[in-house]
Amino acid sequence: MSSETDDVPVADTEYQHDEDGGPDPEKHHGHGRGGMGEEVKRKEDKRFITGRGNYVDDIKKPGMLHCEIVRSPHAHARIENIDTSRAMDVDGVVAVLTAEDLAAHELATMPTLMDDTQDVLVNDKVKFQSQEVAAVIATDRYIAKDGAEKVDVDYEVLDPVVTAEEALEADAPLIRDELEDQEDNHIFDWDVGDKEATDRVFEEADVTVEEQMEYQRLHPAPIETCGCVADWDPGKDKITVHLTSQAPHAHRTLFSQVSGIPEHKVRIVSPDIGGGFGNKVPIYPGYVVAAAASVVLEQPVKWMEERSENIQTTGFARDYDMTGELAATEDGIIKGVRTDVLANHGAYNAVAQPSKFPAGFFNIFTGSYDIEAAYGSLTAAFTNTAPGGVAYRCSFRVTEAVYLIERMVKVLAQELDMDPAEIRRRNFIQPEQFPYESPTGWNYDSGDYEKALDLALDMADYDHYREEQQRRIEEDADKLIGIGISSFTEVVGAGPGKSCDIAGIEMFDSADIRVNPTGNAVLRVGVQTQGQGHETTFAQIVAEELGMDVENISVEHGDTDTDPYGLGTYGSRSTPVAGAATAVAARKVRDKAKTIAANELEAAEEDIEWDRESGHFHVAGAPDRSITITEIAASAYMHHPSSEEPGLEAVNYYDPPEMTYPFGSYIVVVEIDRETGEVDFEKFVAVDDCGNRINPMVIEGQIHGGLAQGIGTAMMEHVTYDENGNCTGGDFMNYLLPTANEIPNFETGYTVTPSPHHPIGAKGVGESPTVGSPPAIVNAVVDAMAHAGTTHVEMR
Amino acid sequence: MTDTREIELTVNGTERSIEVEPRRLLVHAIREDLDLTGTHIGCDTGNCGACTVLLDGEPIKSCLLFAAQADGSEVMTVEAMEDLPESDGLHPLQEGFHEEHGLQCGYCTPGMIMSGKALLDENPDPSEEEIREAISGNLCRCTGYQNIVKSIEYAAEELAAQPAADGGTVAVDGNDSTPPTEADTDAPDPFEGYEVADDGEFTCGAENCCGGPSTDAEHRGDNV
Repeated sequence: MSSETDDVPVADTEYQHDEDGGPDPEKHHGHGRGGMGEEVKRKEDKRFITGRGNYVDDIKKPGMLHCEIVRSPHAHARIENIDTSRAMDVDGVVAVLTAEDLAAHELATMPTLMDDTQDVLVNDKVKFQSQEVAAVIATDRYIAKDGAEKVDVDYEVLDPVVTAEEALEADAPLIRDELEDQEDNHIFDWDVGDKEATDRVFEEADVTVEEQMEYQRLHPAPIETCGCVADWDPGKDKITVHLTSQAPHAHRTLFSQVSGIPEHKVRIVSPDIGGGFGNKVPIYPGYVVAAAASVVLEQPVKWMEERSENIQTTGFARDYDMTGELAATEDGIIKGVRTDVLANHGAYNAVAQPSKFPAGFFNIFTGSYDIEAAYGSLTAAFTNTAPGGVAYRCSFRVTEAVYLIERMVKVLAQELDMDPAEIRRRNFIQPEQFPYESPTGWNYDSGDYEKALDLALDMADYDHYREEQQRRIEEDADKLIGIGISSFTEVVGAGPGKSCDIAGIEMFDSADIRVNPTGNAVLRVGVQTQGQGHETTFAQIVAEELGMDVENISVEHGDTDTDPYGLGTYGSRSTPVAGAATAVAARKVRDKAKTIAANELEAAEEDIEWDRESGHFHVAGAPDRSITITEIAASAYMHHPSSEEPGLEAVNYYDPPEMTYPFGSYIVVVEIDRETGEVDFEKFVAVDDCGNRINPMVIEGQIHGGLAQGIGTAMMEHVTYDENGNCTGGDFMNYLLPTANEIPNFETGYTVTPSPHHPIGAKGVGESPTVGSPPAIVNAVVDAMAHAGTTHVEMR
Repeated sequence: MTDTREIELTVNGTERSIEVEPRRLLVHAIREDLDLTGTHIGCDTGNCGACTVLLDGEPIKSCLLFAAQADGSEVMTVEAMEDLPESDGLHPLQEGFHEEHGLQCGYCTPGMIMSGKALLDENPDPSEEEIREAISGNLCRCTGYQNIVKSIEYAAEELAAQPAADGGTVAVDGNDSTPPTEADTDAPDPFEGYEVADDGEFTCGAENCCGGPSTDAEHRGDNV
């Protein structure tokens, strides 16, 4: 009896249903038990709608102290002196920590995920505005703030650089002068693809187009900011940190490595997290300071940042200046793509991504198209801005890649005076070409791009709006119509251990299922929801695989003492990796259950059949001789077969063989007022294909949220800096999130092209909408003005 | 900073007395002194609305008010929703958010529900546009709002289908929680010291600031 790879169904574009291989997409209305494809209402809702969620700032511990961080008012300045004496005089202030105090514990700096070193607290030179300089620990958060105001820091202000372009100029001030051999602000160069072949294709092409575009700096801005409660227990020599963490296990390992506390004496707990969006993947100085303070003071210490601190100092997103080029034939066949990028990484290279991918998965920039040759190059620079880069539903720079290719296809369509839907159709990778090896080294699992585009065109009433657009131009109407398309391919589910690791740890994930004697079960997973509904959807996978009722399965996560090691939730990896682990672990349980069933039904194991529909095992040819998982669970504990151990549980650590490649076609119709420039969304259609769908209701919620963030991206959001390095877009007065008034109703559709390598044929989807929608929106805005010769409009 | 005063609040129908510094924000009093942690903090500029509670029946952002200003007032937080007479275990609004998938991470949800309650108390049959306007001072980063609108519509329908009890008024533990009139409260004006516009709308005084949950949209709405 196999439980892993033999079980994986092999499919091209049609999902092959076999007895043990997984659910049949044709029967995705489910079996009424809350399995695959059912719109199960969320188990986690009740505590949130009644105010009983448990977020980090809700935690109160006896003797708990509060930490407030003293931050730099300057973007670039040498620290001449830090005087903490006035702060220490404030009644209720317990300690004021500086880099010197942390250095005594070797905690003044910490390693980043990209082989750089970031200051936890600074005592020599600040490198971005609001950087952490000192920390005040007090009995109350108000007193901590009072204390922070009384820490006196003398600065010698230096010239800052805030853009990558400025930073790489020959006479730019050197930001990282503490690094040996660092003579300028250059971090690394990276390239991918076949330069020579690409250059040749461009030389021989009928048509070439080029466009420069900026993907401006954004911030994920989850409504809950980052924070923690660190609690050192001197009796057990153990630290427990309740942390806003998307990756609690990886954080445990990093905490242990940074602090020197052995890993079995570090417990990280991610309680309920008020949104992550990639913001809660890195380790931030505040966490380290709170933990160090708790160890030193032997009391619990809470650190909870405010919104402005969150936007100004935690992981930003994007900030890629991109040049894109396409080479094509006169009839619109794309032959080559070339791109060159200038990347602003801030003051430290602290990008949260797999270690071998310095530009993330940006090399998926050939998109959904079968392109002969491609070449991309990138230069990354330090600037006097906060560190970050990978965050905000980017799937490791796929947002940037998709923006580039989808914008360029529109530019080419305009150059050739071709319909942008038609030009996509001519270049799509065809269903029979999958698995498709891209010119930049990806191995796309499955796709049927034209089907998704056709559905989107139909839903958007495309022909009607094209006519309407023409009519308005001819009548010189006050309001113009623009139609934007984006037919994107995502790459999610990092990832195969051979290429993907975080700080050396392979990017597998895990599931641990224990079925209790009374027939209900607890599933523990190595991923960490921040609202994506794992407590419901992962229970659905188990319900499907074991014929249980979804009600009878609890999903736990976030506690490194009890849950299996996993890499966490980001990059839409939960379904691809931990979802796979859950199915595989459930199938291990099912294998054992089958043995028990044979024993109970007094039949040979070969004669026992699993009936997914009824969720029973029965004797072949005698369906009434059947047994349920509840009965089997009781047997496992009360009269287990002598060939087996008692109990009924299984674990799987799943190393994915490949990434998953969900895709979609989005169509946005805008109406632009020629007088005011105001943009209204007339229609917003999103067709997504994430393979087999676990819970359509939850997917739809993910799409809505991601599209709203796409609108924020394209229309409102921008972390801005002035020439002095002041962050001028660093709070909710200036960093504008869309409200209910700016977001239209979305029309969502789907096709189902399962991932052939995934145990249940499912692909990730959470980030697709934010990856796919910004180019559709910008394409629509440009399209409205294309008749006047506009080829590009920046999002900022 | 030990200068404190004792304030009396009726919180979710129960009289509570707490010692607060004058500078203590109402949201911290609710969360830390009264341990009602359903009310959240999502920003430091009055924009996000995660801290929305009802003060004498009106939705307010509790991060923009000192606790002392609420002395003598009636505060209602999300924790009281289950105890309302129209609730059958859960309040129709809570039920609506669950049924229509109007929440994901759950962090904005309590504030959203309180803004929804304030709207439905005033306007039991709001249009989609009115719902969007009413929650435009409540930021949500997860849902894209569409299902939140549906959740509030669901609640409006459920409430309309309920037999009007007690002449349509709503009570918390026997206390009338509909907005009190001038005559039936001797509570000090919670907005004392703040500018109250002629139309009764709250403005915090800062230029280009929020103006409270229901008017937030006016200076944000033109960004698109």
